[in-house]
Amino acid sequence: MVPAPGRPAPGALSALIIRCLHGLLTAWAAVTVTFFGLRVGAGDPLAGILAQGLASPQQAEALRHSLGLDRPLPAQYLSFLTGLLRGDLGRSLYTGLPVLRVIGGQLPSTLALGASGLLVAVVGGLALGTLAAWRKRSLWGRSAASAAALATALPVSFTGIVAILAFSTLLSGRAASSLYALRHLALPALVLGIASAGAIGRVVEAGLSQSLASPYVAAARARGVPSGLRLLWHALRPALPPAVSLIALEAAYLFSGTVVTETVFSRPGLGRLLIGAILQGDYPVAQGVVALAALFYTLSHILADLVSLGLDPRLRGKG
Amino acid sequence: MRAHPTRTAAFVSLWAFLMALLPACGQAPGQTETLRYGLTLVPTGIDPHLNASAELGIPLSSVYDTLVFQDPGTGAFVPGLAERWTISDDGLSYIFELRRDVTFHDGSRFDAAAVRANLEYVLDPDNHSQKAAFMLGSLESVEPIDEYTVQLRLREPYAPLLDSLSQVYLGMASPAALQEWGSSEYQFHQVGTGPYRFVEYVPNDHLTLERNPDYAWGPSIYASDRASIQRVVFTFYEDRATRAIALESGEVDVIGEIQPRDAARLEQGGGFVTYPVHIPGQPLQYLFNTQRAPTDDLRVRQALTQAVDRPEIVETVFGAYSPVAEGPLSTVTLGFDPGTPYPPYDLPAAVALLEEAGWVDTDGDGTRERGGQPLGLHIIAPNWGSNPEVAQLLQAAWQALGASVTVEVAAGFGALKESQAAGEYNLIGVNFFGTDPDLLRSTLSSDGLYAWTGYRDSRLDETLLEASGTTLDPVHRSALYAEVARITRDQALLLPIRDYVNLVVANTRVQGLRFSSQGWFPLLVDLRLAP
Amino acid sequence: MRAREAAALIWLLALLSIAILAPLLAPADPRQPIGPALTPPGPGARLGTDSLGRDVWSRMLYGARISLTAAMGAALLATSLGVAAGLLAVSAGGALDALVVFAANAALAVPGLLLALLLVAGLGPGLPAVILAVGLSGAPGFARVARTLFLQVRESGFVDAASALGASLPWVATRHLLPNASPNLLALAATHYAWSFIGTTTLTFLGLAGDPSLPEWGAMLNAGRADLLSAPWLSLLPGLAICLTILAIYTLTEWLARLSTPRSLTLPRSL
Repeated sequence: MVPAPGRPAPGALSALIIRCLHGLLTAWAAVTVTFFGLRVGAGDPLAGILAQGLASPQQAEALRHSLGLDRPLPAQYLSFLTGLLRGDLGRSLYTGLPVLRVIGGQLPSTLALGASGLLVAVVGGLALGTLAAWRKRSLWGRSAASAAALATALPVSFTGIVAILAFSTLLSGRAASSLYALRHLALPALVLGIASAGAIGRVVEAGLSQSLASPYVAAARARGVPSGLRLLWHALRPALPPAVSLIALEAAYLFSGTVVTETVFSRPGLGRLLIGAILQGDYPVAQGVVALAALFYTLSHILADLVSLGLDPRLRGKG
Repeated sequence: MRAHPTRTAAFVSLWAFLMALLPACGQAPGQTETLRYGLTLVPTGIDPHLNASAELGIPLSSVYDTLVFQDPGTGAFVPGLAERWTISDDGLSYIFELRRDVTFHDGSRFDAAAVRANLEYVLDPDNHSQKAAFMLGSLESVEPIDEYTVQLRLREPYAPLLDSLSQVYLGMASPAALQEWGSSEYQFHQVGTGPYRFVEYVPNDHLTLERNPDYAWGPSIYASDRASIQRVVFTFYEDRATRAIALESGEVDVIGEIQPRDAARLEQGGGFVTYPVHIPGQPLQYLFNTQRAPTDDLRVRQALTQAVDRPEIVETVFGAYSPVAEGPLSTVTLGFDPGTPYPPYDLPAAVALLEEAGWVDTDGDGTRERGGQPLGLHIIAPNWGSNPEVAQLLQAAWQALGASVTVEVAAGFGALKESQAAGEYNLIGVNFFGTDPDLLRSTLSSDGLYAWTGYRDSRLDETLLEASGTTLDPVHRSALYAEVARITRDQALLLPIRDYVNLVVANTRVQGLRFSSQGWFPLLVDLRLAP
Repeated sequence: MRAREAAALIWLLALLSIAILAPLLAPADPRQPIGPALTPPGPGARLGTDSLGRDVWSRMLYGARISLTAAMGAALLATSLGVAAGLLAVSAGGALDALVVFAANAALAVPGLLLALLLVAGLGPGLPAVILAVGLSGAPGFARVARTLFLQVRESGFVDAASALGASLPWVATRHLLPNASPNLLALAATHYAWSFIGTTTLTFLGLAGDPSLPEWGAMLNAGRADLLSAPWLSLLPGLAICLTILAIYTLTEWLARLSTPRSLTLPRSL
């Protein structure tokens, strides 16, 4: 049956709802895995408090009761979930501060780094992929393709150190201080974005190559669209949807990348907070950071799906 | 073929992108009103009344004044918030007459009631003070006699009391602020009377102080009447690798705990000055666990001590900046006795001792055994002060001796205490700083808070107690501490490595940098920034 | 085989031999100081000494052994768990299949590195914990991929025929699904080894190896940062080794993939 004109395709809305429900389910799964994954090792979370003399045995018992640690695991899990919905992530075992507040203090730094890294990844990926596909046989094209492949293989720990070394030896002393701002954010962002730029570049290259060889572009050429940037734009459009979904996914991977980047450049942020919490055994903080990251990751996935749906009508599905 | 527009476009956009990021990245250094100071440890809490970290004193000793101050040069106690004081002959009563012109940063007056409020806050068991509460001896009561006179009564004489009252841990806070915020939130809203006001603290990120324009009651040890630098911003550099880079790039103007190699390089390069500060107190050391095999055997402890080339370790890790430690106290501490040096490196003697104790390598695998048990050692090292590096060298030395050694690094003081409580260590690294040798009691006395050697000796306990009780005779106290050093050495209770020398490096714009008698704390009020 | 792939193969074979022969090849104990700290490469110490005077060459050799075996342990854990789960899901089908898919997707909801970090948080730092964490966090992804492969085999008819003849579940699994999916599984496992290698060296780089004197490339990369400006080779050498190893594995897996798929039609010349 042909749908009545003027109404949206029935598939779009149900697809949207399904995606959102799926996303909610994934989000729930993520925080559940976080909760149980943390408790893989046996051990008393309050051992640290007692050892430090921050609480007497009686106070530790009271604390244990108030934190619900003396209840069976399923009950603790339920209160963890309800707390999460309320926005209460518990309190740090070492400083006693609310975890949400601790995370909030470090969040801006990580967001700045992640956003800049994403910018580098998108710009770099587009540039590399376009160059590789459009000037396939020239030296530039082949170098871009190799660079993209190389970038995906280099771990951030290494590229970061090379970057610091290169930067410090090339510009030492006065020059380094005048480019202080560059080192503070741009360099870590560059390092962080490189690996994702490689991945995005390869997807753009693949899509653009295919698009350039397609009848769609041949038709544009036949219509008289001149070679050059306008043709490129024509060819790029259908190649974008898979790249955009990848970008949304890479946004989530960037969080993992910030953990290493923050360590290499000793930037404050959630990555350093997480490592510190792991080394000190501060379970609520570690749990809070990973749960939030997982939620963000899930959100990116949903966003990626929605964007693909929006960009490419073919994916909207039948009614 | 015309010029590649894509290539040009790519370059232009990349450069534009980089330039666009520049303004978003914060202020460049070079403004004369703000001093940037680097800290090297993130304490779990920064209320000096409750927390024990020395790091928190670096900013906070300029936020608080104390009843008395200690002259860094002579070691004598000079008036602070107290104009004069009298001590009774039996050492049980201290009467302080306070200044009348002092106001807290929140406007309230400083008086005898404030002194009582502060000491009560410190001694309140619900507040769990980790250090300040243990610095008051057997304090019985704090009574205001009138509005500006307060009397402290002790049950037994306590020689270090004035020294305690000169430290930031017993700095005077505004009772109103203590009351308003309570013990967990107060650290973010600290109110004192000092030359700098506390503005804000974001954990692991920064701490900001601002000049107190009303400051008019500085002690004689301050060279300036009031501060000249408008703001001081403290940022954290726990990672050793980043400290020298932070200085070179201008992110900070001054930072401590610089690695010796970096300090040498920075000075040679020009533009930076090194201020090595010799810190009084305990040296970097490792306590032996006398309650756990194999270190429960005195011969094993002695063998382990003699198997270590301490000058070599100090040279490798600390370069030429640190003297080798020779006892439980660092050489600049009151009570240090040069007459009881530690046994030097003597590998054959160490081997002989071990074999005499029955530890022999029977199966040729490189590890000694006794009664079927291998010679296993577990070292717990804290993660500050290059302890992990020292521990690794100890591990190498003892592995060459025929022991199987594992090293565990504790991430922070809390983790250190937690690992210690588990009891599975043969050596643990811990040390405390201070000008009064009474600090030895917490580690060496069997009822001490950090009695981690497990060694019980009534003679040692009595000597330490007597040394803390004799009020006025430094000569007599020194003799007692010499006895303590002798017992410590003969019983091999600890392995001293190096005197703490804090390598502070500042760029040449920073002038007037001086440190308090405790060594760690800069006198911010005397600092000036050249243009 | 191109020159690049030959180089990759040679590198990996060399590493394998080093990993096996390290105690014979290393001139010194990797944990013992042999001279002054930070001496540059020269006679006596081929690659110089580190910040505590230990021989860098010996530490690199032992580092090959430890890094490669740690990654292998994690990869074996991930692939065996993943293959078992995938096999179970496809041969049992129905509710069990749905359960396995759901569990894998749930675990994948947390990004790989974070999941590994979480597991180390629960277990406490240490090399065994790192191996376990990277292995467990890699299993769900591998399970999903393995399941897809097994599904493809199942759809191809062998299995229906066997079931019609009365074959039992384990029989079908071991005699049909596993052997037919093996070539592709092996190729995927090889790629997964690279992933595990990155995972273990990243976690040790972040300081979670527990043993501060451990001669392992990721830990050495981190330790070298303290002297980066005075002795850059302390970080660059292990870093380069890690990168070259990753590149070599990727190159070889791409070569294997190219060998097993038919040559595709060439695209028309670009416009």
